[in-house]
Amino acid sequence: MKRKDLTLLDGGMGTMLQRAGLPIGQSPERWNMAFPERVTAVHRQYVAAGSRVLYTNTFGVNRFRAARCGATVEAMIDAGVACAREAARGVDAEVALDVGPIGQLLAPLGTLSFQEAYDVFAQVMRRGQAAGADRIVIETMSDLYEVKAAVLAARECTDLPVWVTMTFGENGRTFTGTTVPAMALTLEGLGVEAMGFNCSVGPRELVALARELRRWTDKTIIFKPNAGLPNPATGGYDMTAEAFAAACAQALECGVTIFGGCCGTTPDYIAALGRVLDEGGEVTRRQGVKRSGICSATKAVAMDGVHVIGERINPTGKKALQQALRQGDMDAVATLAIAQQDAGAEILDVNVGVPGLDEAEMMAQAVRAVQAVSDLPVQIDSSDPATIAAGLRAVNGKAVVNSVSGSRASLEAVLPLCKKYGAAVVGLCMDEKGIPRTWQERVAIAKRIMEAATAVGIPKSDIWIDCLTLTVSAQQEQAAETLRAVRYVTEELGLATVLGVSNISFGLPQRQQITVSFLTQALQCGLRMPIVNPNQEAIMDAVAAYRVLSGEDRDSTDYIARMGRVSPAAVVSAESAMPLEEAVLRGLGPQVAEATREALASADPLQVVNDKLIPALDRVGQLYEQEKLYLPQLINAANAACAGFDVVRQAILAQGGSSVSRGKIVLATVQGDIHDIGKNIVKVVLENYGYTVIDLGRDVAPETVVEAVIREGARLLGLSALMTTTVSKMAETIAAVRRSGHNCKIMVGGAVLTADYAAEIGADYYARDAKQSADIAGKVLG
Amino acid sequence: MDGRLTEISRREVLRYLQWRGGEVPEELARQLDGCQAALLAAARPRVVWQRYDLCPDMTLLGTAFRLQGQAVARLLADCREVILFCATLGLETETRLRRAQAGNMAEAVVLDAMGSAAIENVCDNLCGDLAKQFAPRYLTDRFSPGYGDMPIAQQRALFDTLDVTRKIGVTLTESYLMVPQKSVTAVVGIADRPQPRRRGCGSCVNFENCAYRKEGKYCEA
Repeated sequence: MKRKDLTLLDGGMGTMLQRAGLPIGQSPERWNMAFPERVTAVHRQYVAAGSRVLYTNTFGVNRFRAARCGATVEAMIDAGVACAREAARGVDAEVALDVGPIGQLLAPLGTLSFQEAYDVFAQVMRRGQAAGADRIVIETMSDLYEVKAAVLAARECTDLPVWVTMTFGENGRTFTGTTVPAMALTLEGLGVEAMGFNCSVGPRELVALARELRRWTDKTIIFKPNAGLPNPATGGYDMTAEAFAAACAQALECGVTIFGGCCGTTPDYIAALGRVLDEGGEVTRRQGVKRSGICSATKAVAMDGVHVIGERINPTGKKALQQALRQGDMDAVATLAIAQQDAGAEILDVNVGVPGLDEAEMMAQAVRAVQAVSDLPVQIDSSDPATIAAGLRAVNGKAVVNSVSGSRASLEAVLPLCKKYGAAVVGLCMDEKGIPRTWQERVAIAKRIMEAATAVGIPKSDIWIDCLTLTVSAQQEQAAETLRAVRYVTEELGLATVLGVSNISFGLPQRQQITVSFLTQALQCGLRMPIVNPNQEAIMDAVAAYRVLSGEDRDSTDYIARMGRVSPAAVVSAESAMPLEEAVLRGLGPQVAEATREALASADPLQVVNDKLIPALDRVGQLYEQEKLYLPQLINAANAACAGFDVVRQAILAQGGSSVSRGKIVLATVQGDIHDIGKNIVKVVLENYGYTVIDLGRDVAPETVVEAVIREGARLLGLSALMTTTVSKMAETIAAVRRSGHNCKIMVGGAVLTADYAAEIGADYYARDAKQSADIAGKVLG
Repeated sequence: MDGRLTEISRREVLRYLQWRGGEVPEELARQLDGCQAALLAAARPRVVWQRYDLCPDMTLLGTAFRLQGQAVARLLADCREVILFCATLGLETETRLRRAQAGNMAEAVVLDAMGSAAIENVCDNLCGDLAKQFAPRYLTDRFSPGYGDMPIAQQRALFDTLDVTRKIGVTLTESYLMVPQKSVTAVVGIADRPQPRRRGCGSCVNFENCAYRKEGKYCEA
């Protein structure tokens, strides 16, 4: 290729090696050592076709693959880089270390931890640099979290520039659901040199995605598609070299400057691509303002219109959440995330500050727990740099940090972290001297924060300002100062603002009136991201109304849908009161709570538990055993009973008593097994029968189980395994517990188990279903 | 490529929920409807398949994959060509299932059953499409690593041969479990004469872990 403004990459490697005799399904990287001359020959053909960046034959190299091949990562990388280097000798071609996905899904959906993934990549990349690669290309990625692990490994363990390409389907998403904006926002932030697409579909389908990418980034864009769509009957692809090249050239109009081919492409395709690009048009630069925002792996929140930040994941003043965090119970955090998302939050604030807890570790866990159940981007809420760093490392996508203040210490500690991980940042209009009284002074701090952030390389669109809300009943004149500051920051500094509004009404009656009114005025002043409790309907109603008036909600569509909806609470409360047992049987939580309250009027809490709730649950259990109830009904009933237990618990706390628990049970799905739905059913049922359950999750190592039963002093342990292949781990776990000398009963369950088998592997009990596990718990713990 | 999800069999879902006949209670019926809508909204069914020539030693020609076990050899006795496939409901469904497990376990149980019925439907549709494509020849039943005496460890070779992870995003753990969990891999033979359909518990995928069988009963499948 003659053009100097474009770069020509190579084409498919696997395709070429298979033509040279590599059996399909066998690791191509073995050939780096077995037949280096054949690998080099492929590279040479690409050089001859015009390629000036050669991807090494190391796509699948990692410690797992190496172990299966009986080779070392180091040997495979060294040989792979040497093959490409040999072909690049004497021509002006670069050698790029090719790094592909590990092939296992990261937690929470998969089992590979982020740190493990990082370590796998770091090993490959360190060796790649040592072997003499010129750059690192991370390609064919589907999981944005895995990409993050890979990019961090490259940037922290090598000095090489990094390119990233991901593989997208026709629906504009990767297999894990990542969108083009989410990729762009995340990778811009992580500081890659170029990004784009490879593999995916054919070039025709990819052009639209390249156009979308250009709207979100100024980085160099890479375009390396397959030779059309595969034909499963023949194993080939459906585009000729000429058709492929012509379709790729369309991407010039989307600002693409680096071109190549993936599956099904050969040196002929690359030669054709070079010819067509030489005759192609100018590279079109982006039109309009670059789009900005934050994102999870699958959802971007763009900086346009109003976006609600949910504030409820914050233990300040919430005893139950503090208690849950102390116990490392992340279910409470997940539940709050789901509730806020369902209520319309678009960003979730995560604050885990509890005195005496390791806030950094807690933050990493909480961020993961939130992202396991919600696709909303998160706001990492802490002033502690170590906590912020832990949250930023754990997060998937691009987060916002809440917050940095105008004090020198805060700016110096927080801003470099935001820059490194590519996060947006909330700047508080306060400094060493506290919160200034006038709007002018607050704006001055906002300016100082903006300048400091810009100086470390954070773009203006990623700097959000919080002008701070003070309680109007204590400092009445401050409400107006806050609003003026919001208006000035919006209009004169051109920065987005966030504002926690709930604080305004503290100490006044009918707080909501004040809060909603203040929120509306702040929105009118330009507030973009109110931090609120989205589970208060009036607040979300006010936001919905504002969106109509501002024109954001076109044709009032969302508003009408919101107002037309009947709240589930209204339906339930319309039904008349019913006896406790019937309410439990029908799985109606609110009615159970009501009936429990009534019962408490004439009986003490323990009587209510023993004479009402437990018998109701027993009745449910009997009906289930008689096959008159289905499993979901059993669970619904147990959940409903839980509402009753909650009422009892509150009554006991109100009387100054300690909480009721029928005893502690540790549950785990054994190592190697990820099918944990059965264990989770058992957990819900046991909790709702009044037991305290310590849930260790799935894929749990024997030593973790041993440690937990000892630490918790648990008298009952429940283990689950679904697969024949993982039952051996169950036996191993039981043996480890017995060896430890800890005296607890062990019950086991899972599809492939039987009572005989359970006895054979040393379990005390076999639980056929959730109901039986409750019976066993009753026997062991009372 | 995209898979086809055309029906979630209510009968099959109820069977997964250990239905023993009789009227379905109204509250449960409502929950089933809600979950069905949620599952259909979340599912992104995808399939990948490829045809191979089968060598007498049970190796797929041109690949490093050799099918192991007597059972699969019996199934393919009449076949000199085979199809490998993998079908999945996609990670979106997995996410939805995990979210339900964090929020509402009853919903999660129903969704899980729906997911199992749905992936079976995607496989049935794919096999129906393949039967048409390869007519007038005949397809055998589908057979998966882990059935009978075919080692579950053969999942790895199947994944590598079909390039499953790259093609449709299904991943394999070190213990050979697939993520997303609602995924199926299988081998199907292509024969020149009609192939028997295997029926009865002995040839059922769930033979080992069937709740009905454990109680000495039968399902209706």
